Amino acid sequence: MKVKNIFSYLIVAIFALQLVACTNNTDAEQKFDQTPTERTNARKKELNDLLLSSEHGWKAVYFTDSTQLGGFTHLFKFLPNGKVDMASDFDTDTDVYNSQYEIQLGSTVSVVFTTANRIHLLSDSNDYPTAALRGKGFLGDFQFLYYGQDKGDIVFRTNRTVQELRFVKATAQDWIDLPKNATTLDNINGDMTSPLFRLLVTNDGTATHNFDFDFNSYARFGEATSLDPTYSESYLFGFAYTPTSAVAKPAVVVKGQKLTNFVYDSPTNTFVATGTGGVSATIKYTNAPPVLTNDYKSLLAGVGNPPTVFGYISANLYTAPSNSDYCKYLLDRANATLPAAQKISRVQLYFNTAANQNYIQYQFNGGKASITHLVTTSEDAVNKTIILKDAGWTVVASAYAFLKELDAELVNPKGLYVKKETFRITYSNTIYTFTSASSPFRITSYAL
Amino acid sequence: MKLLKKYKLVVLGAVVLTFTGCAHEDQPTESQLNFEQPVRTDLDNWIITNYTNPYNIEVRYIWNQNTVDNTRYLFPPTVEKVKPALEIVKKIWLDSYSTIGGADFVKKIAPREFVLVGGVNLNSTGTITLGLAEGGQRISLFQVDYIDKKSRADVSEFIHTIQHEYVHILNQTKPFDEQAWAKVTPSGYTSSWYVESVSTSRELGFITSYARLNIFEDFAETASMILLSSKAEYAAILAGITSATGKAAIQKKEAIVVQYYRDAFNVDFYALRDEAQKNTDAVINN
Repeated sequence: MKVKNIFSYLIVAIFALQLVACTNNTDAEQKFDQTPTERTNARKKELNDLLLSSEHGWKAVYFTDSTQLGGFTHLFKFLPNGKVDMASDFDTDTDVYNSQYEIQLGSTVSVVFTTANRIHLLSDSNDYPTAALRGKGFLGDFQFLYYGQDKGDIVFRTNRTVQELRFVKATAQDWIDLPKNATTLDNINGDMTSPLFRLLVTNDGTATHNFDFDFNSYARFGEATSLDPTYSESYLFGFAYTPTSAVAKPAVVVKGQKLTNFVYDSPTNTFVATGTGGVSATIKYTNAPPVLTNDYKSLLAGVGNPPTVFGYISANLYTAPSNSDYCKYLLDRANATLPAAQKISRVQLYFNTAANQNYIQYQFNGGKASITHLVTTSEDAVNKTIILKDAGWTVVASAYAFLKELDAELVNPKGLYVKKETFRITYSNTIYTFTSASSPFRITSYAL
Repeated sequence: MKLLKKYKLVVLGAVVLTFTGCAHEDQPTESQLNFEQPVRTDLDNWIITNYTNPYNIEVRYIWNQNTVDNTRYLFPPTVEKVKPALEIVKKIWLDSYSTIGGADFVKKIAPREFVLVGGVNLNSTGTITLGLAEGGQRISLFQVDYIDKKSRADVSEFIHTIQHEYVHILNQTKPFDEQAWAKVTPSGYTSSWYVESVSTSRELGFITSYARLNIFEDFAETASMILLSSKAEYAAILAGITSATGKAAIQKKEAIVVQYYRDAFNVDFYALRDEAQKNTDAVINN
């Protein structure tokens, strides 16, 4: 071919290209009508509009980790200009507080509570309910990723743990009811005069089973261990509170039925979850330890027991977790009557001394002389307690009047449960606890 | 028509098509990005007037997960607590350096960003992180919600962070005499400083236990502890040390700090200390 012809074809080819170059058909299917930015902005607006849309705001029962913590009920009322009103049943302060929120783009569109309010109480590294959570608080999040809507609920996932959290439309009644959750909180936590031990009793319609219910009221989480060694069931669950009940998560399963709503029964001071066909689960309180020991037997008189001495030593044992609040309250009350430099330094229990005596001895700091209360001992074999009975004081009545309340617990007519504990405090001495059978009094002592 | 003329026409046609062919394409529409100025609260305006405009320091108190460690359980400050905390920082740190070092001192050498956190940064070992400085650019201040302005201990602990971190920033601008410093207490540095008691550390010639991490922390702790204490308080710290070598070591380090401030920045360190104390008293008593 001649050069001229090549040139001609080339020109024609270029010309043809010009004519077809601008065809719009790229054959790529458009997944979306809008650009990513448009879609993100639309999603942000959708979430914000949704948050603002509910007349009485939103309610969320937040279980941060249902394997070790209970649930906390929060109410939110979103306001224009990035403000939010919030209340929580984290503690008995259920007032409404105002703070700020933002719709931020995290791994997806999310709502973030950007200045401190009640929800942040769950995310305070310095406020943790169990030793394992030191530095981690209640494992709470306050940035929630928007995953859409479901039957009117807003479905979020938490930012750190990616757990589902639903915002349910709140009612006016929810705002009225929230402060009443504190009543349930008080009922389950009790106070210093409430019985020390909790039991879970399940009824499968034919038989009942007793469980020692070890409940951490701050974590709102409990572990129920069967008291019957032949029955191996155990439960781990947390509670969220309503004005009338405690709601368990995960559910307590008895004979295949999932029991969650433990309704408070005031006359009996119990929480009862009822299923069908006689199935139920009950949480009750008792002054008697769920597991009774025979440790008291080695203290009894007249059966050849060696002399033993047990000492509550204030400097080392006042802060022991095994002292009940009621015990500390009585120690404080007795101390408050003494001059500033004088305090109870020891409460010692002497059994079967060489002189064949039993007595309680109170020792003091600041040069105050000891006071001794002589007692006789006897056994309640059924309830497994040792009963200390008054046999006279070493000082006149007016001199020991300030010890009377404290002393009355130790010589209470139903006796004391004695338990040799497995833990140690500061020293290698064996720890014994003495628990009143008629009140929530428990004192910790060293075997001396 | 000659062939060349035909070519000319064809080329002309092609050029016309090139310029007009794509004319029907969509024109860019308005930007999707949000350029609106956020609504400023009184607090925001106060920050702009007192920090951003004069010192070019940004203060972040609104939570943003990108400025904090997401593995820590922290939370943003309560809005009402932000201004009191910033006033303490301004009075004791900014004003003291401005008065003694000159009005432009902090403007030239300063962190560019403060991140305020409401809660305590408790580590799982039980130690508490009071503050963080990242590359001399960002300083994170914790416990903003818990400062009691009337408590000297609270104020000192809070201001300790910024004084300490700022010494690092100064060191990054002009290094101190590291060789001389390292010779003062060559042994005694340890990565498990947090199990050591302060009194033991002082006997060994370190002002605090944290100073024992390395010579840079040692320098920052020595300088910031002197700035935090009055002349009498510092003298009491020294008087409480029984080991003569320990006391001499701390005094030797103090001398290096004083010389560093004089040589590198022409700042009288003791005058700075006195000014900081005067301003601390002013904060606590007002």
